[in-house]
Amino acid sequence: MYKDKLDRILLKVQKPSRYIGGELNSVEKDREKVSMRFAFCFPDTYDIGMSHLGMKILYSLINEVPEYWCERVFMPLPDMEEQMRKHDILLYGLESLEPIRDFDFIGFTLQYELSFSNILAMLDLAGLPVWAKDRKALTPIVCAGGPCVCNAEPIADFVDLCILGEGEEVELELMRLLEQCKAEGVTKHEFLVRAAQIEGIYVPSLYEIEYNPDNTIKSITPTEGAPYKVRKRIIKDFDKVFYPDTFVVPFSEIVHDRAVVEVLRGCIRGCRFCQAGYLYRPFREKQVETIEKETISLCETTGYDEVSLTSLSTSDHSEIERMLATLANYSDAARVNLSLPSLRIDSFSKELVDRIKSVRKSGLTFAPEAGTQRLRDVINKNITEENVMNSCKIAFEGGYTSVKLYFMLGLPTETVEDIEGIAELCQRIIDLYYSLENRPKGKGIKIAVSLSTFIPKPFTPFQFEPQPEESVIRERQKHLMEVINTKKVTVSRSHFDVTHLEAALARGDRRLSAVIYAAWRKGCKLDGWTEYYKYDKWMEAFKECGIDPAFYVNRPRSYDEIMPWDHMDILLTKEFLIRENMQAHEAQRTPNCREACAGCGVNRCVGRPCFRYG
Amino acid sequence: MANTVTKNIRVFFSKTGRAIYISHLDLYRLFQRSIKRSKLPVWETEGFNPHVYITFALPLALGTAGLCESLDMKLTEDISREELISRFNDALPRDIRVTDAAEPVYKPTEISMSEYEANFECDGAKFAEFLASEHIVTEKKTKRGITELDLKQHLTVLEQGEGYLRFTFPSGTEFNINAGLLFDAFEKQAGEEIYSLRITRTAIKCRNGEIFR
Repeated sequence: MYKDKLDRILLKVQKPSRYIGGELNSVEKDREKVSMRFAFCFPDTYDIGMSHLGMKILYSLINEVPEYWCERVFMPLPDMEEQMRKHDILLYGLESLEPIRDFDFIGFTLQYELSFSNILAMLDLAGLPVWAKDRKALTPIVCAGGPCVCNAEPIADFVDLCILGEGEEVELELMRLLEQCKAEGVTKHEFLVRAAQIEGIYVPSLYEIEYNPDNTIKSITPTEGAPYKVRKRIIKDFDKVFYPDTFVVPFSEIVHDRAVVEVLRGCIRGCRFCQAGYLYRPFREKQVETIEKETISLCETTGYDEVSLTSLSTSDHSEIERMLATLANYSDAARVNLSLPSLRIDSFSKELVDRIKSVRKSGLTFAPEAGTQRLRDVINKNITEENVMNSCKIAFEGGYTSVKLYFMLGLPTETVEDIEGIAELCQRIIDLYYSLENRPKGKGIKIAVSLSTFIPKPFTPFQFEPQPEESVIRERQKHLMEVINTKKVTVSRSHFDVTHLEAALARGDRRLSAVIYAAWRKGCKLDGWTEYYKYDKWMEAFKECGIDPAFYVNRPRSYDEIMPWDHMDILLTKEFLIRENMQAHEAQRTPNCREACAGCGVNRCVGRPCFRYG
Repeated sequence: MANTVTKNIRVFFSKTGRAIYISHLDLYRLFQRSIKRSKLPVWETEGFNPHVYITFALPLALGTAGLCESLDMKLTEDISREELISRFNDALPRDIRVTDAAEPVYKPTEISMSEYEANFECDGAKFAEFLASEHIVTEKKTKRGITELDLKQHLTVLEQGEGYLRFTFPSGTEFNINAGLLFDAFEKQAGEEIYSLRITRTAIKCRNGEIFR
């Protein structure tokens, strides 16, 4: 245990309390009495990782089993890493303060592509070889889960196995298997062969990839009885799924410092750029009573005074009004604030505004995503300009004077008119504001436009689409700045350097492992942090490996091309994605799942239609 | 529950182990949450954003342990000392423990000094020589910038042994010296590194020489 060593260095680093554990509700067990130890690694800093809901769920789930012990591990910032290396401290779990090298599982959750290099950095800090093939012993098994494993190919050579889909059930199945294999004394290879038989487990080393001369994939062949397609795990009865009755409460302030209750999973909307909207299907809700019970339990055991009702689209809950009314009974009495992230513009009612307003009067955020109706139809963002105007009107009349609008640049079929449409929409919102008799008195309006760059992602209808070339992106960003000629609108845009790498990694294949390794050797890590991101080093790494990022980023892919992730089955068909892509090019919308079934294929697994129709 | 004050109460607690790395600002939030969890009848402010009202007598430096720290709050209902202590402790992280609670005797402004105990590893002879020197000049960060300070003038050594020192430094709202400064000064003056340094505040005293209660 590193307690003594840590006492020598912690006063030399920024915010030391994040490196020592011991927070309220953190779980400490007797190491002599546990049979499986799991290091849950979030490949980013404590402040970010501790905000992540998935970690809280699986942490509690594993620790419910008396003989299993799950600990939390985060990426140290450079000042801490320097001290750790100087004093021979290997990466350790925050609960036991013992090196994770001696654990049975080291599990990474992959929430965004820019955290890939941190996996290597953390394995290295743990004193382990970064390549899976160089770790010969049965334990620790290095695994990965989270949305990015729907295409785990870029990191396939570093991890031993991946968990596809929702972890609440498969996590324990996997741990039981390893426990058994340890007792039998089998080899790591034998364990992996057996693990591949569990639904949702993907063992990259059991798949052979062949390439065509043009570098596209020729074939993906499973070996040793591994399934031809790895099927995503889902929780069938979402209302009954395990949910923690308490959270670890950090000493220091973190990004999302509040209780969080997941009210539904999946999304009915089908926005064609949105990976989460497809990955998390089918749509499932928790009952209002369950949500109420979880809210009360979390607030009482943590002392948080804010609870966030989270999901991809909380206002799509079929009983949203009753949910809010029920929760208000508790939250008003207990002086707890309710917060509702990700509200859709078309569901924005006066009641909702009043509800949020009574909590805290911060700014409102809407996401029209595109400047013209045509382009909104292409991306299937089923909102109209009327929706936007209505919502703004309600907000302004409710006392708001600023709105934040999210747009994406570089979407398929986008033209200069669509860019100019953003400026025009902003102008019409400004005109609306000043036309209102009962607008807030004596205050001007502020519109903050946040302009991100479209990144084509696997398992979306846009997985076939190129991201526009750098020159096009820069030209269009510049054009928007030129056509916005009022100081009431401020524009922030994403950096090309960052989106470019994210786009390459998102749809990359297994050959990118070499690039990630080379970049990490050049010092790339913490790529999600502007101050640590080294784009030039990444480009050097691509060059040295003889790989052109444009092959992954800027190349249109045909419908019959084998995608690097085609051996993953996320329960919807490729035919559906192709059909949706064709619809997009004709600017044809697809109704949301509650209105009509779009035939994605996920209902095969549910065993019934997702909704009762007419 | 009526929000009217029935009693002022001073809660004494220890802050040791992993909790020594909690900053003063974070400690404030920690106690607010703990009180909310404990459901103790603590008076809340009556502004737009009501919150429990607590004040700390004397901040403790990051990295220093404390055995006699205290905070003041107001109760809205009478509750026994034993129940208050046990409900508080049920709601606190392991390394922060409430040890006592009583009506305040002295005002925090009457605090004048703290007693510390330090355990460490270094060259004993060099440390003794350092303590015996006429001046121990160090830099102290204040609101007005960095000023020079002679620690020797303010230091009272109570007990001295191999890798062990018991001493006092001035404390209080007017003038306060962080105990760690003494050891920083040694490292600088002697060019030696100190290992495994553990400093614990063991007592807080008032101008009249009495223990702060």
